Amino acid sequence: MWLMALFTFREAWRKKVVLVAGLLTLAFLALYGTGLHFVLDSDRANFADPALADFIALTETILIFSMGVYLSSFLVAGLAILSAVGSIAGEIENGTLYPLMVRPLSRRDLLLGKFFGLAAMLATYAALFFLALAGLIYWQTGLVIPGLAPALGLFVLKPMVLLSVTLLGTTRLTTLGNGVFAFGLYSLAVVGGKMEQIGVLLGSTATVYTGVVTSLILPADAAYRRLVATVVDRIATGNGQDLPFFNPQNILGPFGSQSTPSDWMLVYTLAYIVFMLAAAVSTFKRRDI
Amino acid sequence: MAIIEVRNLTKVYGRQVACRDICLFVEEGQIFGLLGPNGAGKSTLVKILVGLVYPTAGEAKVAGYAPQDLRGRRQVGFLPENFRFHSWLTGKELVAFHARLAGLDGKAAGQRAYEVLELVGLAGEGQKLVANYSKGMQQRLGLAAALVGDPRVVFLDEPTSALDPLGRRQVREVLLALKEAGKTIFLNSHLLSEVEQVCDRVAIINRGTVVADGRLDELQAGPATAAIRLDGLTGELAAKLRLRYPDLQLEGDRLTLTLNGREEIADFVARLVAGGCRIYEVTPGHNSLEDIFVHLVREGELVCG
Repeated sequence: MWLMALFTFREAWRKKVVLVAGLLTLAFLALYGTGLHFVLDSDRANFADPALADFIALTETILIFSMGVYLSSFLVAGLAILSAVGSIAGEIENGTLYPLMVRPLSRRDLLLGKFFGLAAMLATYAALFFLALAGLIYWQTGLVIPGLAPALGLFVLKPMVLLSVTLLGTTRLTTLGNGVFAFGLYSLAVVGGKMEQIGVLLGSTATVYTGVVTSLILPADAAYRRLVATVVDRIATGNGQDLPFFNPQNILGPFGSQSTPSDWMLVYTLAYIVFMLAAAVSTFKRRDI
Repeated sequence: MAIIEVRNLTKVYGRQVACRDICLFVEEGQIFGLLGPNGAGKSTLVKILVGLVYPTAGEAKVAGYAPQDLRGRRQVGFLPENFRFHSWLTGKELVAFHARLAGLDGKAAGQRAYEVLELVGLAGEGQKLVANYSKGMQQRLGLAAALVGDPRVVFLDEPTSALDPLGRRQVREVLLALKEAGKTIFLNSHLLSEVEQVCDRVAIINRGTVVADGRLDELQAGPATAAIRLDGLTGELAAKLRLRYPDLQLEGDRLTLTLNGREEIADFVARLVAGGCRIYEVTPGHNSLEDIFVHLVREGELVCG
């Protein structure tokens, strides 16, 4: 299994998947860093009270960081789906799987090897991306993102969820069909997540429940929202006296975490990954190649 | 001892029967040829034997194990028909990776990769990316990957289809060398002349069913044709002979007929000489594998016992 994992990791590296994703990420970071510099620079001059200016700057910084995480998570999600979408189906279609399948390597080990190889690549990419965002914030403001380590873990968790679902899809569907399936499911999760946040803001229980159900179908957006809560909820809200009273979550609106996923949701997410992998192994073991 | 055992194997895809009640036994150390027209079920049978496809009914064993059993797979090499290799690897890296999967450690895998690349004539090409290999080179590379685990049984699905005549000869030599080393080879090929040159036994399948199975000389036995150049054949003798050989034809000094077997030719010639004929030339007909193949595929089905 580990030989297969190493092979898959090397494949992603040698096929320049990481290089292309890395270059795009650098472009994203350059754009984000430029925007961050000018936004923070312009706002600070608007407040005479230094304490208030610091409070507003801190809040803005966290909000801009959250937005950066939100946008970067799309890039990571795209890489997770695209790297796994043809792992089995594509290799059957182009004939590269046959010579491997007759080796003394069980189908379970082959599939899990692919999962761990891709997971290592995605975790490395996601972690570097997240740390680069946090590094830009530190460089521009001197702020160490609160809850950095757990937030990093949650940022890495999201592509793992998508990877497990996409691997399940590739054991049964064609590459194109699986791409439609995985991106469709991800879109559903993102829209459902937004609905849940809007539901909280509007006080609509039915809308919130709809969002919860989509999180159960694919808990990828839930990982993002828990991440936002991990970071945003650690900064002080205003006291209504010397500092204005407002909750930074309200400013983030549907991009924030009005309805924060519980610890049980995290447990569910981890169990979900295990279940998807078990289902993928079971499907792959039973099918004709 | 049969190293490949197939008993009443059936594979059905929906309403389509790919293989029906197939029985085959291949002895260790033989080169076994599997023949059949397109869509006959050959590739499905091979895929079942290497564990890629599950049978609907029946049983198969290779080297004493079910095809999905990893203990059996350690003893099997396979060159698929429609395969491709990971183009981002060099030839040597690819074969060494297959050696690692077959259970060799890093250094031994590299050494073994070099040996099999040399065997198939690619020793000087090992550092090239697979993406830069020609189709023929890829086929040789596939053969090298199939042999890298030193398997007891090698399944080759159309191993020479992309090769030029020299390449084909080289593969034939490799097959004969493997046989010499005691390996069993299961060869699936459309090239009947090639099968005829290297195989000890042949099975022909048609519409998913075995229609012939046996040693080549057994299959080639049976009715034989002969052409005889002669003079002095009287009308009376010709009429008598026609009673026994209805397809006997005489055109000028050339007589052609079908006999029950090649061994009957000598008796027939003796009868002509006794009847006053002078014989100038006797040419026995040859039952080529192609003749047998065409005849059997058009004719019937052999029910397995």
